[in-house]
Amino acid sequence: MKSDLIRIRLLHVFLGIFSVLMALPFLWMFVSSLKTKEEVLDPSRLLPAQPQWGNYLSILTDSPIPGYLGNSLFVALAVVCLQLICSTLFAYGITFLKFRGRTWLYRIVLVTYMVPTAATYIPCYMLLSRFHLLDTFQGLILSNGVSVFGIFLLRHAFTQLPPDAMEAARMDGAGHFTVLTHIVMPMTRPAYITFTLLAFIGTYNSYMWPSLITDSPQRSLVSQGLRRFLFEGGAYGTQWALVMAAGAVVVIPLLLLLALGGHWITDGIADGHS
Amino acid sequence: MTTKTIKHPLSAWHFLEVLLFIGPAAMFLIVFWILPILGSLGVSFTDWDFMSDGFQITGIQNYRSLLRDKNFLSAMEHTLLFACYTVLPGCGIGLILAVLVHAAGRHTPYAACLLAPWITPTVAVSIVWIWIFEPDRGLANGLLQWLGLRGLPWLQSSSTALAAVSIVTVWKNLGYVMLLFLGPLSQIPKEYYEAAALDGAGVLQRFRKITLPLLAPSTCFVGLIMTVESLRAYDQIQILTQGGPAGSTRTLLYLYYQLGFEQFRMGQAAAAVVILTIIGLFLAWVQNRVKGVFYEI
Repeated sequence: MKSDLIRIRLLHVFLGIFSVLMALPFLWMFVSSLKTKEEVLDPSRLLPAQPQWGNYLSILTDSPIPGYLGNSLFVALAVVCLQLICSTLFAYGITFLKFRGRTWLYRIVLVTYMVPTAATYIPCYMLLSRFHLLDTFQGLILSNGVSVFGIFLLRHAFTQLPPDAMEAARMDGAGHFTVLTHIVMPMTRPAYITFTLLAFIGTYNSYMWPSLITDSPQRSLVSQGLRRFLFEGGAYGTQWALVMAAGAVVVIPLLLLLALGGHWITDGIADGHS
Repeated sequence: MTTKTIKHPLSAWHFLEVLLFIGPAAMFLIVFWILPILGSLGVSFTDWDFMSDGFQITGIQNYRSLLRDKNFLSAMEHTLLFACYTVLPGCGIGLILAVLVHAAGRHTPYAACLLAPWITPTVAVSIVWIWIFEPDRGLANGLLQWLGLRGLPWLQSSSTALAAVSIVTVWKNLGYVMLLFLGPLSQIPKEYYEAAALDGAGVLQRFRKITLPLLAPSTCFVGLIMTVESLRAYDQIQILTQGGPAGSTRTLLYLYYQLGFEQFRMGQAAAAVVILTIIGLFLAWVQNRVKGVFYEI
């Protein structure tokens, strides 16, 4: 028994150290963001003599970073709403409605899921340009309107529901929409929370596609904005303390989200694929 | 068939209902997924260059010239190497971490802590890594020198850049891989371990004789998921190296980006992404087969 206790302690010590090591790049980012221009270039100085909170002040008041943050927040929320609606309806239809070609439709979606998103970029770019949606929020939001991952996640949750509850409601004359909003959705709340969080994070972070279809700083999401801040804000590599502060401002909301709702995300990933 | 639908109002209503549920997502799927995928396939058989209006159908010319192109072959090689460098260490360390986190308790803060790199924007953390990899002033070489070792050029030499990008990728994915193992791990009945412990099996022996064999299907599965994931790596490459130095970190996806969106050789770019898609679909097919082999009987 005693050796078990020691073993558990050792386990926690090891995992604690490993977690700190994994967090090292984040810690280094925060530490560097509080340094002066000279300190950040001096490798012998690990910590700033005096934390330069002014770096954050200048990022928040005198840089385009808050604007990028707002863009990411807005686009991510809009995309999440659209994806929630489309995926919910589709997953419900494909799980509970009987119609011809249902399995066929499901197979098409399954294959779509396996295709790398990049395979759609050239024609999607053409399409958005044809409808004058390049470099607009509408283009960014509409082109992310459906999430195949979301359809699968919700469908999986829907198939786990006991059929009795829905059948009883249908017998009582409830329409499909009522069944969906009053029975199916409340009973699959965990899947919804996981999906909402993952979709939000995915869109907030997204880089490749948004950077292909948007150009102006007024429409940039955080990833593209940060890159611009790195390469344009002064010559390459000069303002490292400010760049780190900008990175921290972008990263902190997500770390807060992880701290508050982490178990929804971790449980969703751990149990979703098994 | 149609007359029947019209005769029964219930049937027409049913059709409308199906349309209402399936329609919105189906529309987006068709417009932004299915037609574009077919479009890419179509473009890959043309010499379209984006600037000019017209194009000619050139058949499999794009594929032929890609297969003879030195850049394409080296991109294939880098894609394969990148997959090996990221999937093998990622799955190995991820599995061990999953076992440890499982032993410590699934709802300890470690799981969320390890997931932080995966949750945060790749661009933001890659920028930090540029600074860490800085040869003269970076943390990485600082640590190496502190240990009495010689510093490395990291991102600035073609012999180390792909490894450096892989380190960032493994670091980023580790928490995710750990979670993918954690699910199946918590489904192994506790009794197995208790029985083995009563028979005097040590920790390592229990890991080798119980955990590993029972997780073999999941390991295969996670490995394939992460291989597909490695095909999609773009953000970190774009920030850390832009495919350089000397094309040493140019993967197939990055080559596609350069061909299509830097050089506007849309035909060749489309051919490259079609090849990427075929590799992805092949891996998915293998994944399905593996699942069948392990679970169906």
